Amino acid sequence: MSQASSVPAKGFVRPPAARRPVDWFPFWMILPAMLILLFIQVYPIFYTITLSLQKRQPAGWVFVGLDNFARLLRSSAFAESVGHTVVFLAGYTVLTLGIGFIIALLLNNGSVFSGTYLTMIFIPWILADLVVGVVFRLLVLPDYGLFSGILQDPSLFPPKGLSVLTADAARPWIAGFPFPPSPAMVYLILAATWRSIPFTTILLLAALQTINKEVLESARIDGATNWQTIRFITIPLILPTMVVTLLNLVLGGVNGVGMVFSLTGGGPGTSTEVIGYLLYSIGWGSLDFGRAASLSILMAFINLALIMTTLRLTRLRIKD
Amino acid sequence: MSTFQSSSQKKGSTFQQRSLMLTNIALIVICFLMLLPIGTTLLISFKREQDVLRTPPVIFPCDTETSAFDLTACRWSIEGYERVILPQPSDTSPTGFVLAGRMLKTYLPNTLLYATATSFVVVLLSAMAGYAFARYRFKGRDLLMVTVIAITSFPLLTNLLALYQMSITLRKALPFLDERIFLIMVYSGFFLPISIWIAKGFFDAVPRELEEAAMVDGCSPAGSFLRITLPVAAPGLTAIFLLTFVGVWNEFLAGYLLISKNSLKPAMFGMYDFLGQNLVNAQLVAAACVIVAFPMVVVFLFARRTFFMAMTEGAVKG
Repeated sequence: MSQASSVPAKGFVRPPAARRPVDWFPFWMILPAMLILLFIQVYPIFYTITLSLQKRQPAGWVFVGLDNFARLLRSSAFAESVGHTVVFLAGYTVLTLGIGFIIALLLNNGSVFSGTYLTMIFIPWILADLVVGVVFRLLVLPDYGLFSGILQDPSLFPPKGLSVLTADAARPWIAGFPFPPSPAMVYLILAATWRSIPFTTILLLAALQTINKEVLESARIDGATNWQTIRFITIPLILPTMVVTLLNLVLGGVNGVGMVFSLTGGGPGTSTEVIGYLLYSIGWGSLDFGRAASLSILMAFINLALIMTTLRLTRLRIKD
Repeated sequence: MSTFQSSSQKKGSTFQQRSLMLTNIALIVICFLMLLPIGTTLLISFKREQDVLRTPPVIFPCDTETSAFDLTACRWSIEGYERVILPQPSDTSPTGFVLAGRMLKTYLPNTLLYATATSFVVVLLSAMAGYAFARYRFKGRDLLMVTVIAITSFPLLTNLLALYQMSITLRKALPFLDERIFLIMVYSGFFLPISIWIAKGFFDAVPRELEEAAMVDGCSPAGSFLRITLPVAAPGLTAIFLLTFVGVWNEFLAGYLLISKNSLKPAMFGMYDFLGQNLVNAQLVAAACVIVAFPMVVVFLFARRTFFMAMTEGAVKG
């Protein structure tokens, strides 16, 4: 970046202005990528917007204005799925960041085997979310899963044991808001956390390794305890990375549905139906593409806000 | 990253030695917990149906009537794998049998095709665009770069409705067009933005004096890109290739919805299909899981440094 900034504007081969007024080389280099992006990314955005304003009638698509949005926002399924998403995101981001930070601190302690540990911890990340869902589902299959023996034991989980994927949620403490979450939701959070820990760990570890060791050393000489060093030096120094990691986790959590598909299928009832899964079930379950498109637009706004915040925080330098 | 080189030179006080030992113990426990779900899936995949369907469930199929664990009595079996790949005797095949299971015969080759084709397209196009963004200052460059990154705000999931309708329209309008081409384009479109940014970062790091020297010696801009810059930035392009490959391999929803013929669907669909049909036969589902996930784990173990590098680059800077 610094090298790029040392050179003034215009193409870096400066041709005699009279012979080659415009250098078309960069244009042709960028064109193919832009064409694909236009066709696959930009056009569908506008397509989704028009879809969200229409409704399919037997005669064909009819313009209905904002009716899809109104129907969506009024539906109880939407409110419920927002609640489920909030519970899911809160549990999963806090757990992932907390555990990832602890693992990163441990890995940064200078053990000879840190590289080996990191490799092993990283394997869950390479698995597809669909596969992770299956792996976790096999563990708690009613009666036959390896953990079912423990979980379904009435002496450990009164009154009649716990069958994770079929047990109903407790009565919500706050009317309408799904808290405490159903056992299936807790389990979904655990599975999602398990898969996201590697990602969090490596980002936080990279940040930890940029901290000057002398700063920590001098704090220790001044009599700071381990906890004080972490609390007042390490965490403030890596806070920007933590926030970026958090935003990345939220993005992944909002848009990742593969695990819901294979682990719970949204159930039992609708207790794990997060907003992304609702999009699928409105769109392809009840074939209401207009309403699903209006949900897509709302989700795109959430994503846009998250991405823009991330960019602002990383101070992404476009002008160099 | 210093983690991969060696430990810091902590010697001396027993306090430090003890804290290092505690660190190691804690990390071993964490590694065990992280690998536990994978280990149990492997265990299940090598069990017989009778051992899978037992209540209360057993962890190792190694118990006998007299003892709880007897290593010589273990009843390991590859029944699950056999039922996934379905080897069947055949006179025409040189090995004497053919693999009739759809997972191995149809779905995995499809996934391999989609992942490879997408990765090549993405590497080529992102290298070209990233190079132009890194080296040239032209009108609209800054705006284009912001647009490219802003596009990532629209994830595959929210664009999928429109893409699904587009795929239906395409199939009707151009029935002769292979529907796989559309899927590969969709995947390419979704991995391009981040790849362009990663590529730009790597080209920024290549000293432009190298290229200028080549051009002074009579190389064309395209020639200096192909002969000088590309080889130097090769590790970055490898990272883009691998990230895209794994991303496409692991993607489920687009491959499931945008392809209409079952014979062209990818392995993740096969996995989902298995899950719907055979949940009671856990050894079968587990074996399918292992077969689908194993190639990616191998790729990761061989190229883990590339992955670590690409992740920290891509997530923090781009």
